[in-house]
Amino acid sequence: MFSKFRAPGLTRRTFLKSTAATAAAAGLPGAALAAGDPIKIGFLAPLTGAVAAWGKPGLDGCEIWAERVNEAGGIDLGGTKHPVEFVAYDNEYDPAKARTGATKLIREDGVSFIMMLGGDTWPGVQPVADKTGMLFSTLLPSDLSPDTTTLIAPAEVHPIYNVTGVDWLAENRPELKTAVMCAQDDALGLPSVATYLAAFEAAGIEMQDEPLLFDPATTDFAPVVTRLLSGNPDIVCLDTCYSDYVHPIAEQLFQQGYEGQIISCTADFYDQMIDKTSKEFMEGFIFQFPDFDDPALNDPRINFDDPNGFYAEYNKRFPGQWGAVSWEYASIMDLWRSAAEKAGSADPDAVLEAMLADGTGKHAFGDAKWWGKDLFGIDHALVGDWPVVVIEDGKATIKGFRNIPAWYDKHGDLLVKHMQAYDQMWDQRG
Amino acid sequence: MLDPDLLVQTVLNSIYAASYISLVAVGLVLIFGVMGVINFAHGELFMAGAYAIVALYADMHMPFLAAVALGLVFVGCLGLLMERALFRPLRDNPLGGLVASIGFLMILQALATIGFGVRMEHIPPVTQKVISLGNASFPLARLYVVIAAIVLLSALWIFLKRTRFGWALRASAQDPQAAELQGISIARTAQIAMFIGAGMAGIAGALTAPLVSVNPHMGHSVIVTAFIVIIVGGVGSLEGAIVASIAYAFVHTFVTTFYDGVIADIVGLSLMLLVLIVKPTGLFGSADRA
Repeated sequence: MFSKFRAPGLTRRTFLKSTAATAAAAGLPGAALAAGDPIKIGFLAPLTGAVAAWGKPGLDGCEIWAERVNEAGGIDLGGTKHPVEFVAYDNEYDPAKARTGATKLIREDGVSFIMMLGGDTWPGVQPVADKTGMLFSTLLPSDLSPDTTTLIAPAEVHPIYNVTGVDWLAENRPELKTAVMCAQDDALGLPSVATYLAAFEAAGIEMQDEPLLFDPATTDFAPVVTRLLSGNPDIVCLDTCYSDYVHPIAEQLFQQGYEGQIISCTADFYDQMIDKTSKEFMEGFIFQFPDFDDPALNDPRINFDDPNGFYAEYNKRFPGQWGAVSWEYASIMDLWRSAAEKAGSADPDAVLEAMLADGTGKHAFGDAKWWGKDLFGIDHALVGDWPVVVIEDGKATIKGFRNIPAWYDKHGDLLVKHMQAYDQMWDQRG
Repeated sequence: MLDPDLLVQTVLNSIYAASYISLVAVGLVLIFGVMGVINFAHGELFMAGAYAIVALYADMHMPFLAAVALGLVFVGCLGLLMERALFRPLRDNPLGGLVASIGFLMILQALATIGFGVRMEHIPPVTQKVISLGNASFPLARLYVVIAAIVLLSALWIFLKRTRFGWALRASAQDPQAAELQGISIARTAQIAMFIGAGMAGIAGALTAPLVSVNPHMGHSVIVTAFIVIIVGGVGSLEGAIVASIAYAFVHTFVTTFYDGVIADIVGLSLMLLVLIVKPTGLFGSADRA
C-alpha cells in the first residue's frame, strides 16, 4: 500500500481523489464531514525524547483549547457545529517517524490540519505535504521556502522576534555597551546567533568576541561561562539555548560572580533558576515568552481568548510545566478555527486560502501580516508585535510590545547580512 | 598576556571535569576488563544515579549525602541485575553482550521517561557556597565531586592491589581460565566488577545531578566521552583511563575556554585518532585485553 502511495506519476490531485473515495467507502472520517462529525486535527511533534519539552506541553495546551471550544458548541462550518479532537503522533523529533506519522494522520485518521514543531522533522514530512496538499504548521519559520506552499508559521517567527528584546534593552539601558554570546551549534542556535548579531549591531552594542558555539551534547558549562566572562562584558546573551542549557549556564554565571545583564530567547521554568541562583541575580533577566497571567495580555488587541484563565487551568492540570510552547499550538488553532469558519470548510486548500486572503491575520499578540518573503522566500509567517519580558521581583513581566516588521524595515539589511554569513537564508539551507 | 585569573579558573574547571569523567571511565574499564563486555548502558547507569538524587533528595528530601550513598547502592544493584540477566548468559558472546547492553540502555531511558517525564528535573542546590581563589571561583558542590573522585579511585586502587577480592578481579581480567583453575569464581568476580563499575557511574551521576540537566538522555554525551577516554588510555587499563580522563578534561576545557566549544570536541576526537595511529593499544594498553 505504501509503495503505491509513492508510485511515480501519482499526482496530488489523483491522490486526494483516491483517498477521498477510499475513505468514503470505508466510512473513515475526514473525507467529508457530516453534520456534527468531529473535526480531527493532527499533532505531529516530539512527545518523548530530547526535544519533547517543545511538543508535549503544546499538546496539553491544545487539549484545554479543545475542551473550551467543544463546551461552547464546537467549530461552526457553514452553520453546522463540529466538535474538535486532536490526534497525536509522537515523531520523537525524527524525520522518518515524522513522515510515517504524517501519512498515518492523513490516511488513517483523516485529519484536516497537522501542527508540527518543525525543524529537523520537516524535511521528512515535506514530500507528504507536496503529494497530499495537507495544510501543516510549524513553530520554526526557517522551515519555510518557496517550495513549502502548504506550510505556515503562524505562531512564532523564531528567531526574528529576538530583535525586540535587544531593541528594548538598548533603549532602556543605554549604558550597556558590550556583549558576548553563546549558543548550541545547531539549526535552532545558528539563525538565532545571526539575529542577535544584527540586533546588537543595530543597537550600537559592540560584540566583544565571536559567538561561542558549543556542541549540543555539552553538559558542563563552566568553561563556556569562563570564556564568556573573560572580557568583563556588560551583556551576556544566551541566544536560543534549550532550557537544559539556559539553567546550568545561568547557574554558572551566578557562581562565577557575574553581575551584569542577561538576555535570552527563553527562560522556561525561571522559578527554578531563581532557586539555584537568587532573586537578585535574576532581576532584570530579559527574554521573549510571557506567563499568560500577565495583565498586559488582557489588552483588547490580544487575540488569545482569556489568556489568564487558560494559564490558570494549565497550571492547575500541569503544575510547574508552563513553558514557551504551552500556548503556541493553541494559538495556531485559534487562527485555524477562524479561517475554517470563514471558509465554511475544513478542507486544507479552503482554510489556507481564507487564512491568507487579505494578507493579514489575528496573531496571539495582535493583528499581524503574512510576511517573510525576504528571509524565507514566501510570505507564510504571521508577523507583528512581540512582547519583551523581564523578570522583576521573581516574576516574568511584560515590559512592552515591539513591532518586528517595523524593526526589519529599518535594519533588515543587517539581518540579511548576518543570516547570509551563517548560511541561514532560505536559498542557503541544504 | 594570559590572564592569571582566567588560567586558574580554567584549571579548576578542568579538575572538576577530569574528576567525573574518570569516575565514569574507570567503571567502564573495570567492567570491560573483567567481563570483556563493552557496556553501552554505562551512560544510563550514570543517568540512573542522577535520577536517584531526583527521587531521594529532590522529591523525598533525604539528606544529599545519604541520597548519594543510596544511589550508589541502587545503581550497583542495577549492575548486578545486568550481570545476571544479560552478561552471564552471553558470557561467550561479546557481541551479544554489547547488543544486550544497548537494549538495556533503551529500557532504562524508557523507565526514566515513564517515571519522571521527558523534561529536565529540578534539583535544589546542595550548597551555594563558592570558594574564591583571587578572581577565580570554585563552587563547593563541584569540590565534592573532586573529593569523591580522589577518595573512590584511591579506595579502588587499594582494593585491587591489597585485597584478595582485588587480586581475584585482576587475575580474572588477565586470564579468566587460569583464574578459574586457581579456584576463583568467575561469576563472583563478574558480580563484584559490575557492582563497583556500575556504582562508580552511579555515584558520578548522583554527585553531578545538581550541577547538570537531569533528563532521560543525559547519559549519551557521558558515554561518548568515556569511550574516547578509555580508547586513549588503553582499553582495559585503569591507570590509562585516569590519565586519559585528566588529559582529555584539560584539553577540552582549555580549548573551549580559549578557542571554541565545537572545536574542543573535534580536538578531543583528533586526540583519540592520533593515539590510535601512534599507539593503537592506547597510552597504557597492551595487546592483551587487560
